[in-house]
Amino acid sequence: MTDRERLERRYRRLLAWYPSSFRRESADELLAILMARARDGQRRPGLKGSLDLVGGGLWMRLRLRIPEGTRTVRVAVQFMYAGALLTALSLAASVAALGEGRGSARLRLFGHLQSLSVDIVVGVFIGGALIALWLWMARAIAQGKQRARVTATVLFVIATVHLFGNRGVASMVVSALLWSVGLVVVWLLWRPSSREYFRPSGVLEVH
Amino acid sequence: MQEATFMILTALANGAQHGYGIITDVEEISNGRVRLRPGTLYTALDRLREDHLIEPDREEIVDGRLRRYYRLTRAGTSRLGAEAARLQAHATVAQTRLKLIGGTSA
Repeated sequence: MTDRERLERRYRRLLAWYPSSFRRESADELLAILMARARDGQRRPGLKGSLDLVGGGLWMRLRLRIPEGTRTVRVAVQFMYAGALLTALSLAASVAALGEGRGSARLRLFGHLQSLSVDIVVGVFIGGALIALWLWMARAIAQGKQRARVTATVLFVIATVHLFGNRGVASMVVSALLWSVGLVVVWLLWRPSSREYFRPSGVLEVH
Repeated sequence: MQEATFMILTALANGAQHGYGIITDVEEISNGRVRLRPGTLYTALDRLREDHLIEPDREEIVDGRLRRYYRLTRAGTSRLGAEAARLQAHATVAQTRLKLIGGTSA
């Protein structure tokens, strides 16, 4: 096997990060460019080039396809991702604090202090579920599902009621941040410019 | 509009180009400042096609490999024109103010 054949095989492996639909249509084209840019005697993709392909592939797999004209929905979905990230960071910070022996054997999760010995597993489970909920709602919203918009609004109302039950500065800050994200999301979803995006049947019509 | 997107659309404003051509053209018109990596380029092309700003023009087989050309759509041309006008307006304001500063200090 020649150096170029080795290089091409390795590039093909990296292209596996892309969705199959993209690979069917554009992988050969992209591979042609990669090979045209390769140095003489190059046998392996460079680190930056590999990261570029892995990042591009992941981005294509994860990004939601929302028509450009629906800016408010796009931004709402981005805020929902931010909500998921903030929730994950909150969870990670709590676990890290426990790892360092701080936190008085209690897990601070989404603004609530849980008893470590009893509730840590439940807390992490709930945390994971909340992250999944953010991501599910983001996807459903991006697909134009009306029920997801209603669900997001109901959850925001529940979060608003729940907001006043927090104790401690850190809990209040985390909850207030998440509540603010929720407020922006709900406001964006009910803007007149978002209305056309949602259909009661859950079927998105893209023109 | 992101700079890379603007540069890709600018490259296509001169006529249909294939992926490698876009990369070299963008590097040339930006004086080597913007260097698109293939993964980044195809992510951008995918998004631009989805937004109907560009579309495939034709395909060729060169040395046994596919070469697809892309061109601007009418919406892409319009969008690039609007973005160029916006940037030009900002640049004009900046240059005018810089001249004023120069005139004051001189």
